[in-house]
Amino acid sequence: MELLEQLLTRSEQAEVVRLRGETTTVEFEANQFKTSKVEETSGVAVRIVRNGRLGFSASSDVYAMDRLLSNVLESAAFGDEVPVAFPAPQAAAAVAAFDPAIAELPVSRLVDLGRQVVDLLLSVEPEAQVNVSLDRGVQHMALHNQAGTEVSFKRSPLSIVADVTCIQGDDILSLFDMVATTVWDEDALGFARRLADKLALARSITPLRTAKMPVLFAPTGSLVLALPLMQAIDGKNVFTGVSPLVGKVGEKLFDDKVDFVDDGTLDGAAGSAPYDDEGVPHRRNALVERGVVKGFLYDLKTAALSGVKSTGNGARTLFRPPAPAPTNLMWPPGETPLAEIMAGIDQGLLVGDALGLGQGNTISGAFSNPLSLAFKIEKGRIVGRVKGVSIAGNIYELLRDVAAVSRETLWVYGSISLPYILLPEMNVVTKE
Amino acid sequence: MRDRMNAALGRSKADYTEMRIEQREATTVAFRGRNLETASAVIDTGGIVRCLCRNNGWGVATFNSLEDLPARVEQAYQCARAAHSEQPIELAPIPVRDERVTVSLDHDFRGVSLGDKKALAEAYNDILLTYSDEIVDTVCRYADTFSRVCLASSGGTFIEEERPEVSLFAMAVAREGDDVQTSHESRAGQRGFDFVQGCEDLARTAARRAVDLLRAESVVGGRYPVVVNPLLAGVFIHEAFGHLSESDFLYQNPQAREMMVLGRRFGRDALTVFDDGSVPGLRGTHLYDDEGTPTRRNELIKDGILVGRLHSRETAAKMGEQPTGNARAINYRHPPIVRMTNTAIEPGTVPFADMIRDIQLGVYACDAYGGQTALESFSFSSGYAYMIRDGHVAEMVKDVILAGNLFTTLLNIDALGNDFQWAHAGGGCGKGNQFPLPTTEGAPHIRIQDVAIGGK
Repeated sequence: MELLEQLLTRSEQAEVVRLRGETTTVEFEANQFKTSKVEETSGVAVRIVRNGRLGFSASSDVYAMDRLLSNVLESAAFGDEVPVAFPAPQAAAAVAAFDPAIAELPVSRLVDLGRQVVDLLLSVEPEAQVNVSLDRGVQHMALHNQAGTEVSFKRSPLSIVADVTCIQGDDILSLFDMVATTVWDEDALGFARRLADKLALARSITPLRTAKMPVLFAPTGSLVLALPLMQAIDGKNVFTGVSPLVGKVGEKLFDDKVDFVDDGTLDGAAGSAPYDDEGVPHRRNALVERGVVKGFLYDLKTAALSGVKSTGNGARTLFRPPAPAPTNLMWPPGETPLAEIMAGIDQGLLVGDALGLGQGNTISGAFSNPLSLAFKIEKGRIVGRVKGVSIAGNIYELLRDVAAVSRETLWVYGSISLPYILLPEMNVVTKE
Repeated sequence: MRDRMNAALGRSKADYTEMRIEQREATTVAFRGRNLETASAVIDTGGIVRCLCRNNGWGVATFNSLEDLPARVEQAYQCARAAHSEQPIELAPIPVRDERVTVSLDHDFRGVSLGDKKALAEAYNDILLTYSDEIVDTVCRYADTFSRVCLASSGGTFIEEERPEVSLFAMAVAREGDDVQTSHESRAGQRGFDFVQGCEDLARTAARRAVDLLRAESVVGGRYPVVVNPLLAGVFIHEAFGHLSESDFLYQNPQAREMMVLGRRFGRDALTVFDDGSVPGLRGTHLYDDEGTPTRRNELIKDGILVGRLHSRETAAKMGEQPTGNARAINYRHPPIVRMTNTAIEPGTVPFADMIRDIQLGVYACDAYGGQTALESFSFSSGYAYMIRDGHVAEMVKDVILAGNLFTTLLNIDALGNDFQWAHAGGGCGKGNQFPLPTTEGAPHIRIQDVAIGGK
């Protein structure tokens, strides 16, 4: 008897998810192509609702199906009563997240791309050590539940991750960047050119004194401002009451220029797919619009507990049951070209990367981070890298007054797209 | 399984081939606030083959299906052939071992019902929830995992090991208006169910501290003499120094090797730091690492001088040193890389009271809630802290973030306490994609002069 049928002889609701993947990886270590890998993964995850109680189990062992069955029954015996309903079939938007060009990308082509990244960075800094990891694969997801939903799709993730280290005496500069996509991007190596530009700019070190000044966050640095917001819009944090945004839907908490969107339907983006991991269609979710709080992200269970509907943000891994997670997050483009923003800064700081992202009490909006990459801006130009600099603040204060948001945006760390963000004044603390 | 593994290895055309197969069962009970997130058990089985072609490079195949092991070996071999290293890759020799390591747990958690595990976590969660009205959210998680790992290599090694771990994590979130404060405690070990029983104080401490932090002032940022508690000192030495001792950072990088040259002074005379994967009962302990190298005590800093580092077989060969038993993989989906095991600062002779007696204005920082190092720079968030005023521990402060340069900070350690502790905390170390790897940190109280504390 098929697994779903077996489960339904013992439960009112059941969901069977089969995950399968094949990935090929090429790795450059210290500028050389040293390792290649193939990975095959497969497994089954099941959930049931029995006597109103929710149970979960999973196995990557295809011979352990009897134990999978007994494990999920035992899990439900001790599960909470949750008013969750596995969804009936819903049509999803056509989302491009599978590209044969990626799925069939030969190892030689991956090696060639890796070599290009290494050569690009070494052309700027010949003594540098570059590590590059290139992965391409196919992921298959098949979900079947008792309400008749039968969803099956595949995705072709490609990611290229590079880190470069330059050591001169006791000065260590370490930079990192990546690209992630599900549809072949002709400009996939754009991230490497940006990394090379940062490397070139970072060569000259310039002093900076503690002072209040305008601070411009480059997209990789804007993550410092986005992270507390990402935690605040998680439906679980809202349900439990720890999000500062509880009860604030419809309220204007931020500057007009603050927008935040989650969208799992974007063609080719790293987090895209037609459905989420519970068979609910992906869609565009407005989280903050012109500074006004619009909504949060939910999976089925958190939505049921909160008395709302799932927003299509149920995400799982084989061994973890679904929980709310963003798909592709975006702070959409603003009004002002970057060149114009730069030109308007007489004395300021450009934030490239922060250390210790997420440390401290970020759920309350507070951040305090030393900067691993930052530059001094003087009369509209970058005049050098600054070391030993820290910034701190709370986004619920700082984002009330945003001086400018750039038209230019970049995908950072895979599936977050952020602009350059100029805050009119922050206290910048340095070692001087 | 042993015969199948050796038969598959025997047909490999690579210079070195290694196969590791793992069968794991794990149970998790997790509460979030009043809700049970999950009470469930999972089964995870799979393997990895690593092949080395000396003049090409490494090939790795990972898989869930254990059906056709020779095909996996062939796949890994072809991957190795595809690589293109400019210099030949060698592996330092290790003794051949054939051993079966079993465990005997007091109150083996495999014999405890899911109902009892849930009742345990629920009771601790109730302590968190009911501590005060200001507690608005909790996380309480019980987890156990039992793995059987078989490692076979073309060198003739065959090691079978049972790996248990049990853990408890309790976090309380307190809220007053817009101010939200968090505190957590955890306990983990290669032990049985009894290791996480009777831990009511652990839950009470997490709840009490979250509430206390609501009333604490934010620390005023600046430079202070800082006394660091054993938990935070251990995390500091692991993050800020331990990672620099991992030779895969050094072995291909001439400038890094110059920076970490043996004989260089790293601290004052009293400072001794070591990593030891053979200490009985600690989370990072195994008889052998994941290449089959016996673990042992490795001195890293002795009397203030850099004397050693941590190796895999490859980094040891490259640097002309001995393997140290520090090649570890988090599970079968990953190849072993150089990792710490149990890392510690040796105690000194200074009692805590003496350490703070001469401090007119300083900070006593405790526990680590996250931290990061970018090689020479580090940043840690301390869980909670107190001001030191006129030689005494004074009011609680919050938002204490310690940051700085590793080298100057180590040289500024001017007192080592006489109160060494290994931390039996949960969590784990992250490096590459391999998180969380169980490690242990140990230290006494330490005093560091002139630390930059981030604050308002």
